[in-house]
Amino acid sequence: MKPSSSKNTNPVWAFFSSVRLAVFLLITLAVTSIAGTIIPQGQPLDFYKDQFSHTFFQIIRVLQLNDMYHAWWYLGLLGLFSLNLIVCTVKRLPFTLRLLRKDNLSLTSHRLRKMPFRHEWKTRGKVDASAIKPLLEAGKTRLPESQVDGGRLFLAEKGKWSHWGLYILHSSILVIFAGALTGSFAGFKGNIMLLEGESTDHIVDASRSKQIPLGFSIRCDKFSVSFYDTGAPREFKSDLAVLEGGNEVLKKSIVVNDPLEYKGISFYQSSYQAVPQVTVRFHRKDGTREDIVLSAFQRISWPAARLTLGLMQYLPSFNGVPAARIWLADSEGKTRALWLLKGNEKIYTQDDEQFSISLIGASQSYMTGLQVKKDPGVWIVWLGCTLLIFGFGIVFWVPHQTKWLWIGEKDGNTIVILAGQTNKNKIHFEKEFHKTEQAIESVLGVK
Amino acid sequence: MTFSSSYLLSLVTFVYLGAAALYLIHWVFRVQKVGLLATLATYAGFAIQTSGIALRWIESHRMGYGHAPLSNLYESLVFFSWVTVLVYLFIEWKIRRREIGAFAAPFATFSMAYASFGTEDKIQPLIPALQSNWLIAHVVTCFLGYASFAIACGLGIMYLLKKDDSRGGQGILGGLPEKKLLDELVHQTIIFGFLWLSIGIITGAVWANEAWGTYWSWDPKETWSLITWFVYATALHARFVRGWAGRKIAFLSIIGFVSVIFTYFGVNFLLSGLHSYGSQ
Ligand code: HEM
Repeated sequence: MKPSSSKNTNPVWAFFSSVRLAVFLLITLAVTSIAGTIIPQGQPLDFYKDQFSHTFFQIIRVLQLNDMYHAWWYLGLLGLFSLNLIVCTVKRLPFTLRLLRKDNLSLTSHRLRKMPFRHEWKTRGKVDASAIKPLLEAGKTRLPESQVDGGRLFLAEKGKWSHWGLYILHSSILVIFAGALTGSFAGFKGNIMLLEGESTDHIVDASRSKQIPLGFSIRCDKFSVSFYDTGAPREFKSDLAVLEGGNEVLKKSIVVNDPLEYKGISFYQSSYQAVPQVTVRFHRKDGTREDIVLSAFQRISWPAARLTLGLMQYLPSFNGVPAARIWLADSEGKTRALWLLKGNEKIYTQDDEQFSISLIGASQSYMTGLQVKKDPGVWIVWLGCTLLIFGFGIVFWVPHQTKWLWIGEKDGNTIVILAGQTNKNKIHFEKEFHKTEQAIESVLGVK
Repeated sequence: MTFSSSYLLSLVTFVYLGAAALYLIHWVFRVQKVGLLATLATYAGFAIQTSGIALRWIESHRMGYGHAPLSNLYESLVFFSWVTVLVYLFIEWKIRRREIGAFAAPFATFSMAYASFGTEDKIQPLIPALQSNWLIAHVVTCFLGYASFAIACGLGIMYLLKKDDSRGGQGILGGLPEKKLLDELVHQTIIFGFLWLSIGIITGAVWANEAWGTYWSWDPKETWSLITWFVYATALHARFVRGWAGRKIAFLSIIGFVSVIFTYFGVNFLLSGLHSYGSQ
């Protein structure tokens, strides 16, 4: 069924409702999308300045090719595409409605004789309608019926609803867009790195570099990585705990492909980093001593000595000896960096107090990298995807089939007409039609 | 000697090569018996290939890794070839014409030859990102799409080679099916492929959402699959724009398949992204 030219000939309307525009937009989207797979995406502008010539850099900047799938012109194309789809659908709707409202019981016998599939019998005897009517549609005895041309017309119709398939299919694209928009306005995405034992109640948004509070805290209790005997990684695993007001409310071990979800926010295992850890011993003059464990990326404060400490660098072997570079800040914020070699002592003076500092041990701990996201639009996207597949199945595989049976009289003879039509899969319908034809023939007893 | 899966699968390469040659002879010289032989060879190759894939699955379990053989380039090429033959045999059975085999069997042969001689065939354990049931759903659906598009491309080439039907069945090209049938077959295989590619993209999105927390990240492989999808969507709609029948759709079936090839290989070798582990 193809709607022919509409009464509405407004050129703007005609432009936006044309399949020609849809084809043009599909080709344009296909061709332009290539750019973003060749030009690296999402790098800072300086990167492109270094990599490309000046002219090309200007093009990249103006057309936002550094993030082209979110550039104004690309989103514009998608917007135009949606508009095209909506207008096209609206234009088509009246045709579909007219088709669905068409009264298939008011056809004349003359029309039936012009159907793509038809057969006509003539017999002298009386014909028992109740005997042949069930043959029309798999033993169904109650069929819609009307009086036409002085005879009885029976109708068996299947799959009329399938005309909605195309609407389901096309609107599914819009539903997916709606889901994506919902996600980008009402959701967020970011990353966090957590040391074992560390917790956080906020994340940093990936693109806008702003802080987003989670509304609860997430803690990494342990991270582990295991390997196959080939050396390839087998599993990355983080033991996470969710804390509300300091109380554990949920614990889960996550691996790649199995995230933790809490209050609409999901935590995915995305990366990890091995973090060196050293133990440093502080000897006071009076003989008391203290051992402090320092991890990279972490500050430790030691209130008793009014010191803040950190590990800057760790070398497992410096001329055969483990070495660590540590960083100390006193209460006034004055900082110093010290190299410690295992087995050697360093003297450090703060105010009037003197410490001797030594490196006594090193170990390794991990920092887990989590991708964090909230996307309230994802269910809309899945709904759209489901509609797309269903719509597709209906458009291509559910036919609208109609069969008519007319029984009337003419010049003392009984005339029986079987007629049918389908909008797809003609070959299959033809076979079925032929079967009905034979069944009727054997009841009528005439050719 | 023991039959390892790689032995069986390299054998398949030669069986398909033979089948392709027989299909070619059948088409050019129009010998019905050779056509039957070609079909038998294809069925035999398909049977050996199926056992080879099953054996590889079992071998991976024996090694303690236990995963469906769909995880690296070698395995995906073997699977691509397998699905292509499956889809082809279905069409052959449906329309009972063997000339198309001369344009379909070579795809299966190339794919197997590349797998056997150009890639690493060791069974590798699954890296964490691939440890998901979605792997199977994603790969199977995508490859059903790719295979249909390969055959649509073969049919499109036949369409372009063939002169007008009115010239009758003269010469080598005369032996090909009528243009009207070819055109209809291109359309049908594109529809079939488009459905599976759509499901493939969707299962990929569901998986990405599960593994990385984003159903779509515009990574080059994702983007290329979308580009391919746009090309075939164009082909489906072009039918409704006057003047876009026949030749232009045949061209689109070839451009579309070039896009499939690029999605499949180009992205792994030329561009970088989340999917590049496929190039191992
Ligand atoms: C990417 C998005 C789209 C998809 C996946 C899609 C899918 C389809 C499919 C599968 C068909 C059936 C084709 C056939 O029967 O061979 C179809 C038909 C059609 N589409 Fe789309 N379409 C899309 C976008 C559009 C747009 C933007 C328009 C706007 C003009 C449009 C207008 C039509 C029309 C008019 C038909 C013909 C229906 C008929 O008369 O049978 N489509 N579409």
